[in-house]
Amino acid sequence: MLRFLARRLIGLLFVLFSITFITFIIGHLAPGDPIRVLLGNRQDDALYNRLRHLYGLDLPWTQQYVSYIDNLLHGNLGYSFRYQGRAVADIMASGVPISFGLGLAALLVSVLIGIPVGIMAALRQNSILDWGVMGVMLALYSIPSFVLIPIAWAVNDFSHNHGGPSLPVAGWGTPRHWILPVLILAAASIGYIARLTRFSMLEVLRQDYIRVAFSKGLRARGVYLGHAFRNALLPLLTVIGPSVAFLVTGAFVVENLFAVPGIGYLAVQAIGQRDYPVVQGTTVILAVAVVAMNFLTDIAYTVADPRVRLDAHNE
Amino acid sequence: MTARSTRHATASLSPLSVTADARGFWRDFWARLAANRLALLSGILLISLIAVAIFGPLVYGQSATDISSDYALNTFPSALHVLGTDSDGRDTLARLMGGLRVSLLVAVFVEVINIGLGATLGLIAGYFGGALDFIISRLADMLFAFPGLLLAILVSAVFGRAAEDQFGGIGRLLLVTGALSLVSWPLMARYVRGQTLALRERDFVLAARSLGAGSGRILISHILPSLAGLIVVSSTLDVANVVINEAVLSLLGLGIQPPDPSLGIMITQATPFLQTNWTQVFFPSLTLTGIVLSVSFLGDGLRDALDPQSLR
Repeated sequence: MLRFLARRLIGLLFVLFSITFITFIIGHLAPGDPIRVLLGNRQDDALYNRLRHLYGLDLPWTQQYVSYIDNLLHGNLGYSFRYQGRAVADIMASGVPISFGLGLAALLVSVLIGIPVGIMAALRQNSILDWGVMGVMLALYSIPSFVLIPIAWAVNDFSHNHGGPSLPVAGWGTPRHWILPVLILAAASIGYIARLTRFSMLEVLRQDYIRVAFSKGLRARGVYLGHAFRNALLPLLTVIGPSVAFLVTGAFVVENLFAVPGIGYLAVQAIGQRDYPVVQGTTVILAVAVVAMNFLTDIAYTVADPRVRLDAHNE
Repeated sequence: MTARSTRHATASLSPLSVTADARGFWRDFWARLAANRLALLSGILLISLIAVAIFGPLVYGQSATDISSDYALNTFPSALHVLGTDSDGRDTLARLMGGLRVSLLVAVFVEVINIGLGATLGLIAGYFGGALDFIISRLADMLFAFPGLLLAILVSAVFGRAAEDQFGGIGRLLLVTGALSLVSWPLMARYVRGQTLALRERDFVLAARSLGAGSGRILISHILPSLAGLIVVSSTLDVANVVINEAVLSLLGLGIQPPDPSLGIMITQATPFLQTNWTQVFFPSLTLTGIVLSVSFLGDGLRDALDPQSLR
């Protein structure tokens, strides 16, 4: 177990190195001189050189990378080009809890809806219910969020115009503002998780020990919940990683179309203002969050399933 | 996956059976593909969309970027504007065909890079192993570290303005292509590498080597043919991702810039006017969904046709 953990940890460090290194290199190659931008109208060579030295931009790039990592470890994501001297971390601070709240809510919703739907479909395999529900799940999985959003808005409008309930479609604040963005963000993962749960459940239901449980005279409910479900759940732990990756790209679209002031929204605002350090900071934060999530599910999976042996991970 | 190569593998053993079996294989392939109605229909739809993208703008007289002369804003389909006009008064059919061009062009470019770079590097890494494999695999792993579109978003955000200043609209198109290729090729390389590793140990490769064939010859005429199915299928299926991703980049303001048309921009531009005119959201959404679904069904059909054993 210890050797396995060590190997995972080395893998984790490599991934973190990749993220920071590539992000750094892209920032390093970025067009435009940040000091010139910072100076604005007061272009003065002496001041320019002093600031360049102050920010460490006169050092070779390898040393700049080291100080970049050092800054990251101290929670410093660099400085905005747009707002003179303002820290990127400062600009993004308000967006981080919103984005993570949105992402976690979507993950929770997709698990809470996806797993029961998948089990239901598996227990009624090849029925009309199974085909219908799986068709809807395939649609949720394959229709991109920016097409689902107008559909959701149209339904919302229709309900509103006919005296039914309606939800706010933009802004942030009350709990009602959460509902549509979370559902749209979760849509792809709901479809993905439901289809995988069905597949995994059907696989387990074919096993001999399920037949044994039935032939012992156990009630169907007990067999499904006690024997089948617990084993079907195991492979599902591995899909959390890909689901979180969906959420990251989805967050950019959903936050921007619903005007939710998360980091995806702030990043796109920053892109419009050519404020690259903010985009860089967003990339690092999101990528590291996903990596941490993957690492945790990986560990959880090995703890939950003793059959996963140390060398099974050796590709 | 390994089963896919069996047919080619046995065929390559003797030069005589190569031609006989190869012709039989392709005849089988067409028969199986034609029997799959959904894949066939998707293929036909895709070919018609490509034809519309190429010839449509030449035949249809309206401009995709200029405001129409009758100042019709956000209108329903009419005789003058076959699919209506958008909220800026531009002809929707003309924009749709322009957006289709962009989507398909980006998809073709990305897949060319995906095959040219991803498959080649995967082949080299899998066949030669050692330090080459280590470098290529770690490079792919590094790019894999970024979830989803994140790396493509970063690259197109940082270099977007400079690319546009240097090369105009084409610069953006090339940048989007490059950014999306960066996200696509590592997966292709990983697939091809894994398959090459398995093929390298097969008897027909040993036979070729003992007959004096060099590495280049073994790679190109013995291993590559067995990989063709895998490469074709995975690049076809990847087109669906590329088309969606281009739309996402463009609607975030990172890809194609207004007034040039992109399906993603068209959908988001029309969404606020949904209540007054739903058709302007509907047509680009339908086109995008049509491309994505037909590519997916065609990809699945190709997989089944190239590898009958994969049928469950």
